[in-house]
Amino acid sequence: MTTLAKTVSPEDVAAQSVAKADRKAQPYWNPYLAGVGLGLVLLAAFVIMGRGLGASGAFTSLVSVGVNAVAPEHAQSNTFFSEYLGDATHHPLKDWLVFEVIGVIVGGFISGSLAHRIKGTVEKGPRISTRGRMVFALLGGILMGFGAKLARGCTSGQALTGGALLGVGSWAFMLAVFAGGYAVAYFFRRQWT
Amino acid sequence: MKAIFSHLSFNQKLAIVAGVLGFLAIFAGSPYTSNTATMNVKELALLVEKEVDHVTVDELADWIIQGKADYRLMDLRNEKEFNEYHIPTAENIPVGSLIDAGLTRNEKIILYSEGGIHSAQAWFLLKAKQYKAVYMLRDGLAEWKDRILFPSLAENASAEEKAAFEKRKAVSMFFGGSPQTGTGRAQATPQLAMPKLEMPAGSAAPAGTAKKKKKEGC
Amino acid sequence: MNAPYFKFGYFGDEISLIVAFAIGIGFGFFLERAGFGSGRKLAAQFYLYDMTVFKVMFTAIVTAMVGLFWLSVFGIVDLSLVYVSPTYLVPQVVGGLILGVGFVVGGYCPGTSCVGVATGKYDAMIYLLGIIAGIFVFGEMFPLLEGFYKSTAMDIVTLPELFGMSYGLLVFLVVVMALGGFAGAEWVEKKFRKGAAQ
Repeated sequence: MTTLAKTVSPEDVAAQSVAKADRKAQPYWNPYLAGVGLGLVLLAAFVIMGRGLGASGAFTSLVSVGVNAVAPEHAQSNTFFSEYLGDATHHPLKDWLVFEVIGVIVGGFISGSLAHRIKGTVEKGPRISTRGRMVFALLGGILMGFGAKLARGCTSGQALTGGALLGVGSWAFMLAVFAGGYAVAYFFRRQWT
Repeated sequence: MKAIFSHLSFNQKLAIVAGVLGFLAIFAGSPYTSNTATMNVKELALLVEKEVDHVTVDELADWIIQGKADYRLMDLRNEKEFNEYHIPTAENIPVGSLIDAGLTRNEKIILYSEGGIHSAQAWFLLKAKQYKAVYMLRDGLAEWKDRILFPSLAENASAEEKAAFEKRKAVSMFFGGSPQTGTGRAQATPQLAMPKLEMPAGSAAPAGTAKKKKKEGC
Repeated sequence: MNAPYFKFGYFGDEISLIVAFAIGIGFGFFLERAGFGSGRKLAAQFYLYDMTVFKVMFTAIVTAMVGLFWLSVFGIVDLSLVYVSPTYLVPQVVGGLILGVGFVVGGYCPGTSCVGVATGKYDAMIYLLGIIAGIFVFGEMFPLLEGFYKSTAMDIVTLPELFGMSYGLLVFLVVVMALGGFAGAEWVEKKFRKGAAQ
């Protein structure tokens, strides 16, 4: 860990101002170092499992199970939900991505607590009310969920995993994400800056 | 050289490593493995000797009747023959496309062809490609017809043979076969009609839909 | 040559779930280390004063891509057994655009919102509910969307195949692009940081 501390560049100390609220919070890692770590985790998934990472698939399993619990016939007749429910040979939540996402939450918590970064806050710029931010968070989540399903994956499953595997659709998706983000960023600047 | 390297920042070192590995990649050739394979000849020979590479038609018939779905049954004949008749739950994969068929190596794979030769050859191909659980249907479809679809009982059969035959009759009827009694097989063969390709009641789902491959994406 | 281990049958489905959990921990750990538990840091990517998202993402892509390439060349991994998701060009581009808008509006993506939740961000929790609602809406609308969803299918196709280049050359081009991008990102950050810090 001592060698890691040496590699923290001045930029990251500046980035700490984002998390300034908690004075004890440690600065984030050098982004390139965190990126190498992330890349090695992805590589481990390729080597051990022959598949990459994901996130939105786990939520889809969750939604499918929820719909199935409320209206089983409706869920089974829907080709989208029924695919995630599977053929009843095992429980749909006994799924690789579901367990991986539970791990993500645990891993995030471990890292956050080691760096004293766990704190009940709302992430927003100074020019927007908490309530306004919450409305945007909900709206953004809905768009994200819808878009991720249309694209057959999110930033983890498509951009990161598909990007490393040089998939054509994944690279087109990645460019579209940045294009969509930059195209509308100006209109939502009050929320963040 | 070493001194220069140590003067660089951490980020610059990372960039150099990435650049060098990326540059060398141009000359490294294709990452996809070629179609050659290596095999442990001794190990395979022992497997053959121990006869652990077989599944008998009786075992397979039992599994289908019980609706067991932990295997994939591969029909190695051509499409026309497959469409005329195949063992229920079978999938059609000609030998030529076996390696590219996307079978995973931890699945239980049972191969069959008309006799035993094609499945034995395919067994070696898959074993050489590190597939773990590959089996051949002993004596192939010919044996399936003889023992399951059209079992016959000799006139001079003993009481024990008769009792066993009664059991086999039920299995045969399940698959739409027609058991033969009291006649030699050679004589009866011309009249034997192959059963229609309908799934026997109560067995596993038809081929293809039985084990829908679960998507691995996000 | 015996990797990917799961596809060679070294362990079964039950063990694979434990592997999933362990890999998830690593994933979540490094996301949080990079600062991706903070919606503000993530959204900053689109206001150019903090390019961490770009830097982390492309470093990870380059690391995994180069690593997988060399492991395959040395015959340790059978690259043909690593799952590549099939391409459906138009729905993926449209989905990407919608997702990009959702990123700016909401401040997270699905994976990072889990880290946000784990580190106590209330907006990440609301955002996660939004994702679930969005997936539900998509599922309910699926009969209407199915035609579009399955359009422009190109099966599994990779960039080397598309451009008719060798895999190694494409790996090199991506590395060069990423390194150029990093240099550009450092420059852009310096240029925009002053203006945004207010």
